[in-house]
Amino acid sequence: MENNKNIQQDTDEAPAFFGSWKNLYLIVLVFHAFLITVFYFFAKYYS
Amino acid sequence: MLGTLSLIVAYGVYKTRNVDNVKSYLLGDKDLPWWTIGLSVMATQASAITFLSTPGKAYDDGLGFAQFYFGLPVAMVFLCIFVLPIYYRLNVFTAYEYLEGRFDLKTRTLTAILFLIQRGLAAGITIFAPGIILSNILGWDLNLTILFIGIVVIFYTVFGGTKAVSVTQKQQMIIILTGMVLAAIILVFKLPPDIQFSDAVSIAGKMGKLEVVDFEFDLSNRYNFWSGMIGGVFLFVSYFGTDQSQVQRYLSGKTLSESRLGLLFNGIIKVPMQFLVLFIGVLVFIFFQFIQPPIHFNKANLNKLENTVYETELAKLQQKHKETFELKQTSMRSLITAIDNKNQNEILAAKSNIDALMQQDSQIRADVKGLILQADDSAEVKDSDYVFITFVTQYLPIGMVGLLLAVIFSAAMSTTASELNALATTSVIDIYRRSIVTDKTDQHYLKASKWLTIFWGLLALGFALVASLFDNLIEAVNIIGSVFYGTILGIFMVAFFMKRVGGKAVFLAALLAELIVIAVFILDKMEIVSIAYLWLNLIGCILVMILAGIFEELFGKDKT
Repeated sequence: MENNKNIQQDTDEAPAFFGSWKNLYLIVLVFHAFLITVFYFFAKYYS
Repeated sequence: MLGTLSLIVAYGVYKTRNVDNVKSYLLGDKDLPWWTIGLSVMATQASAITFLSTPGKAYDDGLGFAQFYFGLPVAMVFLCIFVLPIYYRLNVFTAYEYLEGRFDLKTRTLTAILFLIQRGLAAGITIFAPGIILSNILGWDLNLTILFIGIVVIFYTVFGGTKAVSVTQKQQMIIILTGMVLAAIILVFKLPPDIQFSDAVSIAGKMGKLEVVDFEFDLSNRYNFWSGMIGGVFLFVSYFGTDQSQVQRYLSGKTLSESRLGLLFNGIIKVPMQFLVLFIGVLVFIFFQFIQPPIHFNKANLNKLENTVYETELAKLQQKHKETFELKQTSMRSLITAIDNKNQNEILAAKSNIDALMQQDSQIRADVKGLILQADDSAEVKDSDYVFITFVTQYLPIGMVGLLLAVIFSAAMSTTASELNALATTSVIDIYRRSIVTDKTDQHYLKASKWLTIFWGLLALGFALVASLFDNLIEAVNIIGSVFYGTILGIFMVAFFMKRVGGKAVFLAALLAELIVIAVFILDKMEIVSIAYLWLNLIGCILVMILAGIFEELFGKDKT
């Protein structure tokens, strides 16, 4: 049922950084895991 | 403050002076780079409530609220992989437009209506919440404060549409981030000369204010690692993937890549930013351990006791509050010495003294609240939303007060502008142009978009003018969202991942799931069950998916 007139040319291209989207997603997730770990040890250290 | 706000509005109006068709008005010119998208997405989510309520929350409960945002980066990655490519491929104006192609018109209309209900209510709160706090603290008339925020936002949103919203949000977010970083720095310098930053952090740690990650699985606990990572992912996928106020922000990106980078930028910055805002609340807590805090943070409530029979009782409580504060200060200094000497016994002794004094002070504050309620039984005595703004107005230099008030007004305006813009877009594209007036010119729909922006703006203003204060403002917005987002997300999840399910099954499933979520929410309020609100997102979404699967088996073969 997709309207063919509406279909825009797919402009999906590699990101400007880190080579591929997969790498970039991984960096975001690893950074987030790192942040949670830092929060955890920060709280533990000062408690 | 007025200068900063005027410049931002003038810039937005100037940049969008050539907007003259529906596409340009509702989608911008699709020319925004990733950093504008990222800042605009952040500004839409970060309402004034974020900067008023969140530090107050940390003042009371510590950093644990940061866990609410733990699911956000995961949600951003999910959306970049699965959702953005679909919206870009179909070149849609709204997220709900996609549902008609996938299911049918009634499912698209139902989802659009669910969005309009929840976002329409939230828009009122995002104007009202800062309005009531700012008017109480600054002594301004509440209705005039609400009208000031509302009319300015309606003006530039009606004038320039989506693009005006995005370009003003970029400036607003820069002001917000600068203001909050400066507030944190000044707070550190405002601590007494003999208290180092490291002492402040140590005290906060010993007082349990730095507990930012809680791994204990408890369904009734609002904020822990699991509710954030599971319930939070569902909430944020739903909010960023299906709420038109967010979808519209990244659909105005130059390309799919720019939109993806904008969302990932949000995924990286959001958690540290919330941590900073909460940490400011913890620093305010430490500050008020050495500088005597007011006995009650909502000045307007205390004014109610003046020249009444309760005045003498209040004076007695003020005296007790002062004495307790002085004793607590001595114990705080003993705690710092004990920490410096690494003497565990002394640390425990000082901490136990402080705990006892804190309890005593809590009782005094509770007694003041009791007096306020005796003087006015309709008064809202919860004062945590007033903590940060009290600190700003009473202890920061004049220029900084103006900057931080500009931060709060900017945040109120940026969120409200996105909401009005999205409400108008959904009303025009998914309801008016699709089902009511289907064959008019582009100019007609452009005019309709502007009139609907005014309509939603006035409705939000009306709601803001009659709304009463919720238990905690930021939670009120999130709770309203959680009641509807799960169902909306469930419809989209079925659309994306359950290819054999058709329109009739998903429509019935969504109706039933929404009723069940509302019932669970009511049962929780009546204390018959205990389920933290973040889980409602998960329940709504899973229910729609399971019920749609079952209904498809029962009614099947109706696929559109």
